[in-house]
Amino acid sequence: MKIKDIVRILEAEILCGEKYLEREILDFAACDLLSDILAYSKEDYLLLTGLTSLQVVRTAELTGAIGIVFVRGKLPPQETIGLARSHHIPLLKTDELMFNSCRKIVEELIKEESRWK
Amino acid sequence: MKPHYSRERLTLVNELIYEIKVKDAMSREVIFFDEKATFREIQLKLKEKRMSGVPILDEHKNIVGIVSIDDIITAFDKNYIDDKITNYMTREVITVPQNFSVVYAIRKLEQSGVGRLPVTESANSKKVVGVITMSDILNKLLVEVQSVAEKVKEEEAKNGEISDKIIQKVTKKPLRFEVKGDDFDSAGRVASITKKYFQNLKVPTEIVRRIAIVCYEAEMNICLHSFGGYIVVEVNEHNEVVISAYDRGPGIPDLELALTPGFTTASEKIRALGFGAGMGLPNIKHCADKFEIKSSLKTGTFLKAIISLGEENETK
Repeated sequence: MKIKDIVRILEAEILCGEKYLEREILDFAACDLLSDILAYSKEDYLLLTGLTSLQVVRTAELTGAIGIVFVRGKLPPQETIGLARSHHIPLLKTDELMFNSCRKIVEELIKEESRWK
Repeated sequence: MKPHYSRERLTLVNELIYEIKVKDAMSREVIFFDEKATFREIQLKLKEKRMSGVPILDEHKNIVGIVSIDDIITAFDKNYIDDKITNYMTREVITVPQNFSVVYAIRKLEQSGVGRLPVTESANSKKVVGVITMSDILNKLLVEVQSVAEKVKEEEAKNGEISDKIIQKVTKKPLRFEVKGDDFDSAGRVASITKKYFQNLKVPTEIVRRIAIVCYEAEMNICLHSFGGYIVVEVNEHNEVVISAYDRGPGIPDLELALTPGFTTASEKIRALGFGAGMGLPNIKHCADKFEIKSSLKTGTFLKAIISLGEENETK
């Protein structure tokens, strides 16, 4: 699954990083606790979160996230978008709640899987 | 010159606009009037100083309004140029607090379309301590970029500035970073630079990741819980990365408790940022091959984490 698929599935708005939508997502993290992301995430993952502070981008960059989705329709401050832009991390925004975002992605993953079988 | 050169420079400026505070770029000389002034007086001053507007302050230097060239033109037009400004001035004023990053001021200048913004003492205060314009910001940025460039020239890499050139030159020297207490905006910078540094040395991704996480957690700890300190990153003779974090107190009263996963002393403010899950120290311990921590209520806390770069990954 690519980031551009997420844009479609979650009807997301692209806040920055249009160039990087072809990136392949290898893992997902849905989390509002940065400490947990630092402890458990894997490389090349997509982060879904309700946090919009600068530290989200810092954490994402350091742990090797390839993109961030802000759920619950939250718009990050300009500082956050600026930092993401300078670290080449695409930012998406969706009005879906966290649980629903995850559900939609999982449903799509299952569809994808059955297509391969 | 590599093709991505200009992009890297932009990254530097991009980082700088977050780092530079409004108070470092603003001019402290504020030309202002009080409410008793007339449009005529202000018009003459604006003409003399070639300015586009002035703040109106009360006797405590608190901002109560602003008069711009537009207001003056209207005053001419409607024939009240000799009247006092009290009843006509704009009372809704956009200001920026002095301890915000200049990126905030840039945004406000762009959004409002005005040329200059009054700077207040803090976010909750109306007291004016300076004025900032786009050219103040550009000047400050140029000075900063210049000073980074000079540091590259002088090979003074002691603070590990954001620059690939410096990074290459300090290969065998330790990187030393100051970390301020309570400065959330720049927290994460040390880890970011360190990560880039080891990526450039072609260290495997998984190891770089552990190094970055240890740096970040250590940095956040200093920033969230201490009065400030510094972090030193070096490669020792056994091909191991040694990350040492020192702070100036107040020290950890019960180390065993602090190392227990889930234990935290974090405030609401820290939790709102997404931290304070009580996983910081346990996570550092988890990522490191060797881990050591000492703390004293008198001198502060010292933390050392060692991560092996492996046998086959000789650093250059």
